[in-house]
Amino acid sequence: SSNSSSAAVPQSLHPLEHSWTFWFDNPSAKSKQVAWGSSMRSVHTFSTVEEFWSLYNNIHHPSKLVMGADFYCFKAKIEPKWEDPVCANGGKWTIACVKGKVDTSWLYTLLAMIGEQFDHGDEICGAVVNVRQKQERISLWTKNAMNEAAQVSIGRQWKELLDYNESIGFIFHDDAKKFDRVAKARYTL
Amino acid sequence: DEYESGSTGKKKYSRDFLLTFQEQCTDLPVDFEIRSDIEHVLSVPVDASHIYRDPY
Repeated sequence: SSNSSSAAVPQSLHPLEHSWTFWFDNPSAKSKQVAWGSSMRSVHTFSTVEEFWSLYNNIHHPSKLVMGADFYCFKAKIEPKWEDPVCANGGKWTIACVKGKVDTSWLYTLLAMIGEQFDHGDEICGAVVNVRQKQERISLWTKNAMNEAAQVSIGRQWKELLDYNESIGFIFHDDAKKFDRVAKARYTL
Repeated sequence: DEYESGSTGKKKYSRDFLLTFQEQCTDLPVDFEIRSDIEHVLSVPVDASHIYRDPY
């Protein structure tokens, strides 16, 4: 089940350090002018390598999702919302995906998160891919935006893992709330 | 390559190691609940009779 403790995982399976939840935000529900976040649906929670692939192999990859969709993978118990107490003081790094590379970038981001490849992995809340006509974006949400050293480390490692050469910016959720699309990046790499 | 749990005790897996499992796990988890509000997320054809729909 989604709450299976590691003790219940058969030995042949490979337990992950954290349980993770996939979330999907349905654009058709959004058009009904409902409050942001209320159309967000949790898809499933996984806690082993095998369970991850069982899900990943049966769900649409970003390039096949409907336009306007948001797909999330967050640590279980953290809701992908600014209001979540763990996210409240956080922020996010965002990359704009090169055409045709979104699926690979998303997969490599997921594998790095669930495989605990980040030195400051404890800082990570999760990742989201925004499927948009113009350009897909992937963001990595972290907890303590003020902790510059941790955020910069995560941003650097992420760029390396994705072999991403463009510059990326880190936006505090607080700034995003206040300034929306004109929020300025506090850290840039 | 699999576990580097020595110093940190964390379950760390490299990308290459994780990728070796991709072909082995092709079925949806047995406890996966196919609800009508997430059926469009699935890439596999779903038997409509198996979709759980809210009664209202």
